[in-house]
Amino acid sequence: MTVLDREPSEAVKPVARRVLPPPVTGQELVLVAVIAVLWVLLGIFTPSFLSPSSIQPLLVSVAPIALIGVGMTFIIITAGIDVSVGGAIALCAVVTAKLLVNYAVPLPVAVAASMALGLVLGLVNGTLIAYGRVHAIIITFGTANIFQFFALRVFGSSTVNNIPATLDVFGRGDVGRTFGVPHSFAITILVVLLAWWYLRHTAGGRHLFAIGGNANAARLAGVKVQPRVLLAYAITGTLVGLGACFLIAAGTSTLDQGVGIGRELAVIAAVVIGGTSILGGRGSVIGTLLGAILVQTVTSGVTQLGWPSQLANLFVGLFIIIAVGTDLLRERARRRKA
Amino acid sequence: MPYAADAVATVPRVSLSGIVKSYGGVRAIRNADISVAPGTVHALVGENGAGKSTLIKILAGAEHADAGSVQFNGETVSIASTTDAIALGVQTVYQEPQLFPELSVAENVFVGRELKKGARVDWAAQADAMHGLLDTVGLPDSVSTEAVGTLSIAQQQQVSIAKALAGDASVLILDEPSAILTDSEIDVLFSVIRRLTATGVAVIYISHRLDELFRIADVVTVMRDGETITTMPIGELSVREIAELMVGGVLTESRSDATGAQGEVVLELDRLSLENHFQNISLIVLAGEIVGLYGLIGSGAGEIASAVYGMKKPTGGSIRIKGEVIQLKRPAQARKLGIHLLPANRSAQGSFSFQSIAFNVTVGELQLLSRLRGWVEQRRDRSIAQEFIRRLAVKTPSEKQPISAMSGGNAQKVVLARQLVNRPELLVLVEPTQGVDVGAKEEIHRIVDGLASEGTAVLVVTSDLGEVQRMSDRILVVRSGEIVSEFTPDATQVEILAAAAGERHQEDLS
Repeated sequence: MTVLDREPSEAVKPVARRVLPPPVTGQELVLVAVIAVLWVLLGIFTPSFLSPSSIQPLLVSVAPIALIGVGMTFIIITAGIDVSVGGAIALCAVVTAKLLVNYAVPLPVAVAASMALGLVLGLVNGTLIAYGRVHAIIITFGTANIFQFFALRVFGSSTVNNIPATLDVFGRGDVGRTFGVPHSFAITILVVLLAWWYLRHTAGGRHLFAIGGNANAARLAGVKVQPRVLLAYAITGTLVGLGACFLIAAGTSTLDQGVGIGRELAVIAAVVIGGTSILGGRGSVIGTLLGAILVQTVTSGVTQLGWPSQLANLFVGLFIIIAVGTDLLRERARRRKA
Repeated sequence: MPYAADAVATVPRVSLSGIVKSYGGVRAIRNADISVAPGTVHALVGENGAGKSTLIKILAGAEHADAGSVQFNGETVSIASTTDAIALGVQTVYQEPQLFPELSVAENVFVGRELKKGARVDWAAQADAMHGLLDTVGLPDSVSTEAVGTLSIAQQQQVSIAKALAGDASVLILDEPSAILTDSEIDVLFSVIRRLTATGVAVIYISHRLDELFRIADVVTVMRDGETITTMPIGELSVREIAELMVGGVLTESRSDATGAQGEVVLELDRLSLENHFQNISLIVLAGEIVGLYGLIGSGAGEIASAVYGMKKPTGGSIRIKGEVIQLKRPAQARKLGIHLLPANRSAQGSFSFQSIAFNVTVGELQLLSRLRGWVEQRRDRSIAQEFIRRLAVKTPSEKQPISAMSGGNAQKVVLARQLVNRPELLVLVEPTQGVDVGAKEEIHRIVDGLASEGTAVLVVTSDLGEVQRMSDRILVVRSGEIVSEFTPDATQVEILAAAAGERHQEDLS
């Protein structure tokens, strides 16, 4: 639209029609196709799979992974990584659950508190990584354990029980849906769209790609590398806070100590399967959303088919290797050309 | 000459004075002064390690000077970061394209100074601006949305220049811009530069190709050993005079103990080819002989060395060592045959930076250190390292010092020492003195001379003209993947350079 409402400049040669790379990449189309095929196959073999009562819980479980995956995509685009999100989820979730149980805080306070705590944890990671110049995996591996320690301290016992239904608006029940769409999933879609716009159309978003592509060149070009990197971790932390609320809501009235365990891997899997390069410089939040849907489809499909649940791990593992493998092959092909 | 034309031009666009810069204990710049007038092309020349790159990094805000001042249009300014430099209009095109492979050409050009419409990037405005910029640097409009990673190196260089121009450059620094360009691309580059100087841009032009400076530069400043030696209008100098200023009065003479006592054929290449890199390379190196392969960057000379050492598999022709045809699958096989290589990229291919000097010297020859296989005797490890520290005059407090703490010249001597623990049959050196100070360079040359006189065949691949003359018994010039000429060391630098840069020589081999 912006191309058209400008005056054609002296009509010399037509300016390149497309001013941006295509909005949807090949990898995203492939993911859509794979998900569609899986849904059709699952629909044929277990007809109940395509019913709302099966799809709705699927979307509820996609929401926190895709939501936190948005932040993780930002981070991985800058060639970083955050393996502390599991610990951060546990800490945010237990603090929020305790607030609900002990102080019966209303919904906005619970959500705000969880997000604020998440933001603080993200700032800790981001500050150490951006300004301490230590590799992200080292820092977040360390903070993962520290966050987990604090989470376990707050838990005190192995569970928090009798959590009030305050957060059910994000949950699996009827109050958690409008026109059949789970609220948590709708919010996630909204965040994905915002993030897509930010990454594609703002200078700040493009700078994340520049940093991941060549941090030194970005610095030389006058990009404020450190604040941008800090921002990526801060966003991830904040989204972890919201995701923790989704996870409490999606569960029962009891929160278990193991709430965060392994979540960082699920999130990173969604990001990587979604086509974001682990080497940095390239990635897409829409891909991450599709990656999260694919992972959850496989998990829930394996259960519904009555197959042993560990097969889900096998399939997710294969998807990761295929996604990263294609990325590396692509990179090698490009090096050879250059 | 435009630079002296009027009174306005007498206030320099930018001048640096009394600049001093050290890295650790190494003095990269002892004392540098340079003053660049608007609308002129100011050449900055000097041998590798003379301090040119450091000086321009200081001006570009990528490094901070320990002492000295910068004046911009007559006013003292402080350049604390690249952002400061960019704000002053100082734009740099670095030797290695500083680009983002996954982003489009348009995005690369505007990164850090995006044209905006509200909060968002105004893609259409950028595309419009790209039209003129791409035209200026000689690229078609259609590349604007291509990912930079899909372009050729030369095209990437053109994108780098477009990127510098987009920032409204008042000072444009070009660091070896022609090294990776073809002749016709250099013509394009020069016409771009002339267009820019006509609008008052001050251009600082760094190049090793002295002949081309006479085509483009107005003024030349010569650096040697971290100091600016002299600044003169280029018309008052000749290539030879500039070369003399660069090396310090005396042009390095050729090997003193040249030729004569040479033995059997050690290395023989017969029509060796590697697709896209070099074709039909035939040469021989005798025992005790030093053969120089001279080529400008991108000539394919480096790949020939890689093929001889088994790092790249040739696609045609043969390699013989002492008459026997060999097919190398990996470097370990080359080493077994007594072929050693001193790689160009010390940090990536040559050294184990956290490890001690002793480790770095002996890592290739651990079997020498052990009487029982697989057991390294620390004491012999140390004594061999100490012997080499003495023999090669490596400046270090102890053999336990990690190599990462050493200067370029000393680190290179350590990596060279590794090749000498067992005297090799054939030693292949690739850019042996790149980034090495003059003293260490001289010593490395002396060590290699000594090795040759003991009977080792030496193949030196270098883009350093003085070096190839200084070291070689015979000089083979490589251009576009072919050996185009052969010279004796008494050939002039201009002859050798002309052959490498495209002018056919009478004794043309092909």
